[in-house]
Amino acid sequence: MRFRAKIVDLACLNHFSRVINTIAKLAKTCTLRLTVNKLYFILSDRVANGGVSMWCELCQGNFFDEFQMEGVAADNNEIYLELMPDNLSRALKTAQSAKAVKIKLTNKYSPCLKVAVELPSLSRSSRIVTHDIPVKVIPRRLWSDFKEPSVPDFEVSIYLPLLKTMKSIVERMKNLSNCIVIEANLSGEMNLKIETDVVSVTTHFKDLGNPPWASEDECQSSARGRDLQSMAEARIDIKKLQQLLAGQQVNPTKALCNIISKRIVHFILLHEDVSLQYFIPALA
Amino acid sequence: MKCVIVGTHLRGVVKTHNLAFEECDPLQAVFAKHSCPNILRAHSRLLADIMVHFPTSQEEVTLSVTPARVCFRSYTEEDTAWFFQADFPRTMVTEIQLNPDEFDYFQVGVDSEVTFCLRELRGLLAFSEATSVPVSIHFDMPGKPVAFSVEDAVLEASFILATLSDIRSEAASQEPARCSRVQESSKTRVDKPEKPSIDEDSTAEATASKKPRWNGASGAPANPWAERELRGDPTAPHRDSAGTGGAATGEAGGRAVQGAESPYHKFHSLFFGAVSFKEKDAISRSFHSLATASDTEEDSGQTQSSQVLQ
Repeated sequence: MRFRAKIVDLACLNHFSRVINTIAKLAKTCTLRLTVNKLYFILSDRVANGGVSMWCELCQGNFFDEFQMEGVAADNNEIYLELMPDNLSRALKTAQSAKAVKIKLTNKYSPCLKVAVELPSLSRSSRIVTHDIPVKVIPRRLWSDFKEPSVPDFEVSIYLPLLKTMKSIVERMKNLSNCIVIEANLSGEMNLKIETDVVSVTTHFKDLGNPPWASEDECQSSARGRDLQSMAEARIDIKKLQQLLAGQQVNPTKALCNIISKRIVHFILLHEDVSLQYFIPALA
Repeated sequence: MKCVIVGTHLRGVVKTHNLAFEECDPLQAVFAKHSCPNILRAHSRLLADIMVHFPTSQEEVTLSVTPARVCFRSYTEEDTAWFFQADFPRTMVTEIQLNPDEFDYFQVGVDSEVTFCLRELRGLLAFSEATSVPVSIHFDMPGKPVAFSVEDAVLEASFILATLSDIRSEAASQEPARCSRVQESSKTRVDKPEKPSIDEDSTAEATASKKPRWNGASGAPANPWAERELRGDPTAPHRDSAGTGGAATGEAGGRAVQGAESPYHKFHSLFFGAVSFKEKDAISRSFHSLATASDTEEDSGQTQSSQVLQ
């Protein structure tokens, strides 16, 4: 099992750092899956995570100047590692002026991702900062826990309002209540509601637009033939929503959510070279 | 005792600040910087740029030097224990390698690795950046203190930190290297600096035996390294096993010997002015107080005042 990668371009490095910072805000520990062409940051929906799950996919070619990977076996040419993304975020934080950043999987005393940052210095040779990030190698028999989640059989799919706006609203609502109701319909309307003993607050959005999903017979059957005005709603933990919104450092190209009433809200945030899916289950 | 600062501002506004202070016995580390084989000097900006790579929660770092390179590495006690941990074996380890060229002055007499408390150092670095003077680092083998000092026209400051002894040569001990317990007993010693007695020796020894790993001035009054220097035995092995450091202080003269007093988060060890010498060895220097109480003139010139750094 081998992995080494290198980033030389500062813009790519900043972009990668931003992705890692977003992931670090969403999960304390997550799984990094490496394949020949892609990297995935995965959080599976265990009770420990509060039922939340995440799937983030990057094309390595958009970030790395060099990328070499040899998986556990020829027919399973992938590597699954468990790590704390905050470590990676910290390692990259002070690399903003780096000449190069190299990432390598090592196993000196225990498996680590070694991040070596070459920084400019006043002397003739560069300053080298290395960070050894401890990782756990996930054995093949557990790989099935980390399969890509399928798009749920949603009732309503709707584009999200401007994330910055949504974030500031949710942050203020967080002070009043622990849970928030998201409801939306197929006419481009969405409401964010909180309700406590003393106050209820609703923010209305309209003309958001509903994404056109290619209709297949198996999925989206709940959405077909649905009354356009009828709201699908789910009550979710407001902190989880706030974490998702706070972690976004760049405005995505596309942001939408799929709602199954009283079950789950599925967020999809798409950038040019990164896609992030985040599932928040409904509260009882 | 009061220190009164009066300022007259615009429009006749007068601000008076009454600052209360207490006189205390100044404590001095018996530590001769100039006999250290390793000396580095760099602008505080360089050191700050290095320390920024370590997380703010990082307690200890190891500085390791050879004539060819300088390396700062985060220190974690987990290194030996990780085998037994089921979950994540280790915290992240960060290491910074520098070329000796980056330092204004670089002298390495002996290859060495010293581990000291980073948290305490950060305070000094912040101070140095404000005054924008270079910081000098004097150190020797592990176990001996490391001194960080800044010097400019108006002040000199020496910050002396204990370093971890070489673990290999120690008697096995289960005690974690936390100084809070030693802190208490060292406080009692402070009250009786003038009369070392057999009782105090045994207290110090009992105390030191609880602290197997932190030698030098780690809160225990014992400074075995310094004591050996004064006895004229600079080559004596400084790698103490637990307990042997304790007896040293009783012979070190009237002064209580103190260096870096932890708990680490307290900024204890900054000495402004002077590094003392054992009284018998002191070559004649003029001692004078850096501060005198204006209302008690007879206090000026007392021996309890700080000494002037040469």
